[in-house]
Amino acid sequence: MNDKRHDRRDVELDRYFALARQAPPDISGVERNFETRVMARIREGREPWYALAWRLAPVFLALTILLAGWSLSYSSPAHPADPVTMLASGTQEVALLDYLTGE
Amino acid sequence: MAVPDEGADLVRSAIGGDDEAFAELVRRHKGTVLRIAARFARNHAELEDLGQETFLRVYRDLRSFRGDAPFGHWLSRITVRVCYDALRKRRREEKDVSLEVLAAPVADPSTGNGPSAQLARMILDQAMSRLKPEDRLVITLFELEDRSVREVAELTGWSETRVKVRAFRARQALKRYIGGDDER
Repeated sequence: MNDKRHDRRDVELDRYFALARQAPPDISGVERNFETRVMARIREGREPWYALAWRLAPVFLALTILLAGWSLSYSSPAHPADPVTMLASGTQEVALLDYLTGE
Repeated sequence: MAVPDEGADLVRSAIGGDDEAFAELVRRHKGTVLRIAARFARNHAELEDLGQETFLRVYRDLRSFRGDAPFGHWLSRITVRVCYDALRKRRREEKDVSLEVLAAPVADPSTGNGPSAQLARMILDQAMSRLKPEDRLVITLFELEDRSVREVAELTGWSETRVKVRAFRARQALKRYIGGDDER
C-alpha cells in the first residue's frame, strides 16, 4: 500500500518535471543588450590612476601638514650655529674648534 | 596555452585586455548563462543580477582559464557556482513560503490535460524553494536541465556519489511537499 503510494508520487513528480521542462524560462527580456550592460559594469569597476590620486589627495595633504608641524617643532638647534653665542654659553673650546675646522 | 574551442582567439584577446573581445564572448555565451541562471532566479531582476555576476567573475578570473576544456564548460561551472551562492544567500534571508498552491492537480503531459507547463513550473519552484541549496542545485540540473550525474558532478565539483545522494534526498522531499504530507 505504502509502496504503491510512493510509486504514484514518483510518477506525479516526474509529470511535474516533464511539464516544467516543456516551459523553459523566458530569458529574451534580459538577453537584449545584456553585453552592453555587463561591459558598463566592468568599466564602472575600473578606476583610472588619476581618480585614485584625487581620492588620496586629502591623505597627502594631512601628511604634509603633519610633517611641516613636526619639522617646525624640532628645528631649533641644540647648539647655536653663531660662534659668538656659543662662546658666551661657555663652550668656548669646542666652539672655537668647530669654527676653525669649519664643522 | 591550448584553447581548443572556436572562441580561442577571443579568449586570448580578452585576457590581453581587449574589451571588444570580451563583449563578443558575452554576446556569444549569454544565452547559455542566462538559461542556467533562469532555473534559479525568481524574477527578471534576479536573473539579470545572476548573469552579470557570472560575467564579472569570468572577467576577473579569465587569467586562470587554463584552456584544457572548452570555454563554455568553464563558463557553465562558474554560472552554477554563482547560482549556488545565490541559493545559499537566499536560504538565509527567506522565510517559509506558503504551499497552498501545491494542492493543484497534475496531469499526464502527453495527454495535454491538467495544469499548464507554467503552473507546473510554479508549483515546482515553490516546492523546490524549501529544499536545501545543494539539493535544489542538483535536482534542477538533473531533472530540469536534463544533465547526467557525471555532468552535474563536473559542474558542481562534487563527487558522483554526492550528486546521487543529493538527487535522491531532493526527490524524497519534493514528493512529501507536493503530496501534502510534509512532516515539518
